[in-house]
Amino acid sequence: MSGPVLTEEPLQFGAGGRLSGVLTQPDLTSVKVGNPQVFVFLNAGLMHRVGPSRLHVRLARELAPLGFSSLRVDLAGTGDSLRRVGLTNRQSVAADFDEIKDFLDLRLGDVPVILFGLCSGADNAIRLTLGERRIVGLVLLDPYCGSNNRVLEKARAIYFRWVKPLQHIVALKKRLVPQALRDVPIAELPRTVFLTIREAVSNRLEPETLRDVPTRDQLRAAVLEIRERKGRILSVFTQAAFQTYYVQTGQLGRVIKVEGYEAFCTELFWPEATHLYLLEVHRRRIIDEVKAWAVGYSRA
Amino acid sequence: MRSDFAEPVHTMQEAFFLGESKHRVFANYHPAVRGDGRILAIICPPLFFEYMHVHSALRNLAIRLSEGGQNVLRLDYRGTGDSFGDLEEFSVSDWVDDIKLAVQEGRKISGSDGVHVVAVRAGALLACRSMDALDGVRRLVLWDPVADGATYLRELRDVQARCIEQHIYMSRADRVEAAQECAGHRVSNRMIEDFAALDANVYASIPKNKLYVICTREAGGLHLNGHSRVVIPPACDWAAIENRITIHPVMSELLRACLALS
Repeated sequence: MSGPVLTEEPLQFGAGGRLSGVLTQPDLTSVKVGNPQVFVFLNAGLMHRVGPSRLHVRLARELAPLGFSSLRVDLAGTGDSLRRVGLTNRQSVAADFDEIKDFLDLRLGDVPVILFGLCSGADNAIRLTLGERRIVGLVLLDPYCGSNNRVLEKARAIYFRWVKPLQHIVALKKRLVPQALRDVPIAELPRTVFLTIREAVSNRLEPETLRDVPTRDQLRAAVLEIRERKGRILSVFTQAAFQTYYVQTGQLGRVIKVEGYEAFCTELFWPEATHLYLLEVHRRRIIDEVKAWAVGYSRA
Repeated sequence: MRSDFAEPVHTMQEAFFLGESKHRVFANYHPAVRGDGRILAIICPPLFFEYMHVHSALRNLAIRLSEGGQNVLRLDYRGTGDSFGDLEEFSVSDWVDDIKLAVQEGRKISGSDGVHVVAVRAGALLACRSMDALDGVRRLVLWDPVADGATYLRELRDVQARCIEQHIYMSRADRVEAAQECAGHRVSNRMIEDFAALDANVYASIPKNKLYVICTREAGGLHLNGHSRVVIPPACDWAAIENRITIHPVMSELLRACLALS
């Protein structure tokens, strides 16, 4: 497929064509400068390569006019890629990345890579960075970073368990159990809402339970390696992180305590957006943010 | 052919773009693994967030159909999936054209003479709308088809309202902007008008012997006098914004219905 400033090619690569993906490249007759870094979009959870509401597709196509090539890939067992029988998820992702590198070598040469990952995609990106010299940039959406402040962590827990639900009682009523609450007598409503919210909050699962998150040491080591490679990191935390582990702006930097963090890492806190960027208004914002970061990266 | 819908460990498929225009259509082709491949099955996905719900399920269905002796082509309408363009640039007539293109190109690639169409939710409305221009379609199998365009638009607006409710820390300005969206996407007025104009007559115009409707709930949805309709519970929760349908009893019925006339 050719557009005015990009070409796009559906692919099957790796042993036996196991992996599916789409390679997007800038049309260098239209784009002034081609950038050497290639974005690789990793799956967000079990969603296929297009990303939540096509976030990966749109980003790939908006990065191309800026000179960036990109590969949006289905890791084994997701989307259109076959799973690897008998391997753990970590082993499978590592094997996938070896095949991604082989493919990039073949088609684009020994190019530096910027990994893009949301949720478990961010977890995979962090682990893949360890010991992999080609990875020089990370875009991490809602990576898990843990907490560095027990007092604030406790305050957050109290806030979300007791105070915030009461503040948002009217809005949350519809969100949590809309039909049930509409049938509750008015006199019983406040107590019912309160109990419902308390139960919902108590039952909330923490990221460590749902995701195979990297350890704090792995996270720190990945950030250190990016610094050594003179690379950059963009991390964005949304409402989901705020409600589970992210207490305050700049927390990731404080948790990992890496010297010079602010010089090569951009950390943003967007509690107004949801984890999967369900609304176009927020998708547009994250696309623009990543593009601005990428342009800044290429000029640095 | 395996009877279950466990994830496959081997498959043959090829992805490519269809069409000549600036905005081309992404398609995945699964050639028949056995048999003569006389039937081409076209899989028409749903739109908006529902597309994400069933991507994996429809891929598995395609693999099972190819194992059952049919050539299969899955498409992404323009402005969706890996196809070109943004959703707001397109409307019903464009997506109907995409289905026609998929059938036309699929036939060329496969050499099949007969066509079956499997369509999900709003994809069913689009598929039936495209039938007047298509020859050789022997069977239309619809999974939880939307009742009509107006009902579908109401459902999308409800989804948008719930979506905004989920954003409890959103600014007033963002709320105002988000209120213009439809199920989390910007869409054109043309698309809204086109969908509103699609009523249940679109389904009624399909010959009874061709249409097979599979619903996952008894109440609501599409009811047509004289057309085959089966109910396979449990009900799929299409209104859930974040959902994923992978293995469901409806898959076996879809497979059976598609292979019945092979």
